[in-house]
Amino acid sequence: MNKKKLVLSAMAVLATVSLAACSSKSSSKSSGTGNGSSLKLSTSYNNTSATDKTADEKSTLKVAEANDSPFQGISDPVLASNAEDSDVFAPGGGDSLFNVDKNYKIIDGGLANQRIDKKAKTVTITLRSNAKWSNGMDVTAKDIEYAYEVVANKNTTSQQYSSDFNAIKGMAAYHAGKAKTISGITYPDGEKGNKVVIHLSQVSPSMKFSGNSFIWGTVEPYEYIKNVPIAKLASSAQVRKDPIFIGPYKLDKVVEGESTTWSPNKYYYGKKAQIKHISINVVSSNNIVKAIQSKKYDITASGLGSTSYKQLKDVKGYAKTGQPALSYGYFGFNVGHFDTKTGKNVMDKNSKMANKNLRQAMMYALNLDQVYKKFGNGITWRANTLIPPIFQKYWDSSAAGYKLNIKKANKLLDEAGYKKRDGSKWRSDPNGKKLVIHYGAMTGNSTSAAEYQDYLQQWHKVGLDVQFTGGKTMEMNSFYTTLQAPKQNKIDVYSGAWSVSSEPTPTQLYGEDAPYNMGHFVSAKNTKLMQEMNSNKAWNDKYRTKVFKEWQNYMNEQAAVAPDYFAYGWSPVNHRVKGYDISPANTEFWSNMSLTSSKLQ
Amino acid sequence: MWKTILRRLMIMVPEVIILSVLVFLLAKAMPGDPFTGSINPKADPAQIKHLMEINGLNDPWYQQYWNWVVHLFHGNLGNSYQYQEPVTRLIEGRAGNTMWLAFFTMVLTYAFALPLGVYAGRHEGKLPDTIIRFYTYVTFCIPVFVILVLGIWIFGYVLGWFPTTGSVSSDAQTWAQTVGSRFYHILLPSLLGALFGTVNIVQYLRSEVIDAKHSDYVRTARSKGVPSKDIYRHHIFRNSLLPIAAFAGYSITGLLNGSIFTETVFSYPGMGLLFVNSISYRDYTVITALVLIYGILNLVGTLLSDIILSIVDPRVRIE
Repeated sequence: MNKKKLVLSAMAVLATVSLAACSSKSSSKSSGTGNGSSLKLSTSYNNTSATDKTADEKSTLKVAEANDSPFQGISDPVLASNAEDSDVFAPGGGDSLFNVDKNYKIIDGGLANQRIDKKAKTVTITLRSNAKWSNGMDVTAKDIEYAYEVVANKNTTSQQYSSDFNAIKGMAAYHAGKAKTISGITYPDGEKGNKVVIHLSQVSPSMKFSGNSFIWGTVEPYEYIKNVPIAKLASSAQVRKDPIFIGPYKLDKVVEGESTTWSPNKYYYGKKAQIKHISINVVSSNNIVKAIQSKKYDITASGLGSTSYKQLKDVKGYAKTGQPALSYGYFGFNVGHFDTKTGKNVMDKNSKMANKNLRQAMMYALNLDQVYKKFGNGITWRANTLIPPIFQKYWDSSAAGYKLNIKKANKLLDEAGYKKRDGSKWRSDPNGKKLVIHYGAMTGNSTSAAEYQDYLQQWHKVGLDVQFTGGKTMEMNSFYTTLQAPKQNKIDVYSGAWSVSSEPTPTQLYGEDAPYNMGHFVSAKNTKLMQEMNSNKAWNDKYRTKVFKEWQNYMNEQAAVAPDYFAYGWSPVNHRVKGYDISPANTEFWSNMSLTSSKLQ
Repeated sequence: MWKTILRRLMIMVPEVIILSVLVFLLAKAMPGDPFTGSINPKADPAQIKHLMEINGLNDPWYQQYWNWVVHLFHGNLGNSYQYQEPVTRLIEGRAGNTMWLAFFTMVLTYAFALPLGVYAGRHEGKLPDTIIRFYTYVTFCIPVFVILVLGIWIFGYVLGWFPTTGSVSSDAQTWAQTVGSRFYHILLPSLLGALFGTVNIVQYLRSEVIDAKHSDYVRTARSKGVPSKDIYRHHIFRNSLLPIAAFAGYSITGLLNGSIFTETVFSYPGMGLLFVNSISYRDYTVITALVLIYGILNLVGTLLSDIILSIVDPRVRIE
């Protein structure tokens, strides 16, 4: 459902919990210092009243997963490629190795602890002594290593192999099928021991954070799945029907594509689960509002969007909780092409959008504050940088971004020579040639259609002839097929969205050799700044923060990729629930929850 | 007749081949590929490229088609890119749901429509007939998805009488509970489908009954003093059923096509919903397999109708 999800998250501004959830324990936290939205949502809800006697053994926590299609049912986080699967299998703990703090920094106390040796260029992962799978099996060093085999195997169906893994010694050879094992991963105490040492050619400050692209964050039950060929793992019963987990709950039953049910896992090393039964059901996103209004569910497994907030904000019996999503919307400008021979993005000085004044003027012409005031319901709001505010430490709250300033937009255009000539109502380019700018936007709901119309109007106001590519909005697949072509001139400016990992280094999106850099903006300074984010000096958190902020301001100034919106992922929480807290620092999300009565309130 | 059926089956072979080529080409002509939607910072483009390569998605279409045909003859419809499991197993899991839904809808449709049709025909021009005709026209005018959405809203959410999502409750433990729960989940969609899908059968049956009422054999029976009740039961009803019986084959395929709406509205995991989803994912293997199955079912349904007709009506012979 990845596809649809992407359309939705891009267009309808549905801030769904990102894929990063696969490798980090849960989501994030806005620690009250603001995030730019007029709406303040708490990450937690706690019913403080005493537990009603009726909340007995039979009470079930009912969780809704808002999604338009059945979930795929791949419980293995290495193989799953969508948020639904990680949501419906979440009470199993997501097989996560590490605990994190509110900034997603890896901390001790989880299933395993991590130590980085900068000199030796090794990462040592040590399992806790009482780590067990939900069938009573010990979690072993081999279980840590096997995740790398599954993600990197030549015949794997996983999409998640990252070229950064090549920093692990022997990984490239294993990935190419030339080696049977990964030579850079060793077991000081043997495969059944509790320690793994990973030898790398380089270590990076990003490794301190969950969701980085070097160190895999989950375990695989090797003994349980070893007889299944890796290519067939995703369709095996061990992954789909009777998967085992390391978290507070064990799976009782999965109804294919529809629901999962859970009960406490007696082998769990951490805090014991308090709720006897949990059921998670897929609910079509068309029906989710009605389902909450008629009190069919306690909470939602993933964040909901702004439209449902408008409909549900006054619903009785529910608290509204949320946190900024691991995602953002942006405007991209096409300023170059991708050279397939060298594998690098190249800026074209003569491209239509190469002029910085033009790009800045287009951003100043937009009235994003008003658009999101009208349609965002406080759930989406104008973004001021390309790092979402969930990263409290890195997000530059003081960056101005692009507020409406028609005067400045006109001035910038006049200065650059984009003038109205021969009595035309449209500006022509500095050489006096006709200028038509093509805007690529994905087909969404009625709200997004109204938003796009507003953008066009605003651009027309400053005399720019901006039209939809092909005269209308684009279906998601055509949109990305067009954009991902190495060289294209159909889309000059586009609206896109990214969901990001819990480690925010943006190299994979905006790097010189990043195929996802679809606007092809490249500059020496941009490359340098992104390198600095993970340079030796960046082991110092203060320095790293400084570089991130500098990068945000630089990108704003260049306006080749400009911020559009930030969003909350929000969830209604029924008043009978106690101890709900989605902050990533709450490492016992499922165990901390309990119910105060047998019926929804 | 057997010869004819055999010949019809033989003709189906080239039809199915042409259908499969068309579907295959059209599916490939859509912009995007099974991995277009996977673009996110966690999916490395190099790995996506690698996956495209090992899945043969970069080969020319005729080669991909040939591979597909070869696999088909080994009973292998390929793997779903989206669900990462064999298409045969994926469809197997969904087909049952769709078949039960279609079956119940059909049973209920006939259960409503047959008495209504006969009753309307018998009381032609009188108040009951007017009411029934009015009812069928109204239901015919309203698009099915409107009814489904209204139905799920009123009976599912406002009144809370029926489940609103899925095919079985997650609480069902025993075999009896599971069967009961499945039936409970099918009930509302099939009731709605039946109540609003009667128009064809009622109208056919009504006009057949009216025709039969004025036919010679009925007049003869009447003049012999056969009770009116028996005339309707033994003479008129049986004869009027002929076109309805012939209709059955077509209505099976109609119901399967209708399942696309029902399953989407009710989040009911059957083949219809799977089809809609796989189109937006560009899950080629699933799209082609499903279109092929639907195509074959349509052909078989048509053939079935002809066969039924020739069995129930001795005057008709397939030559």
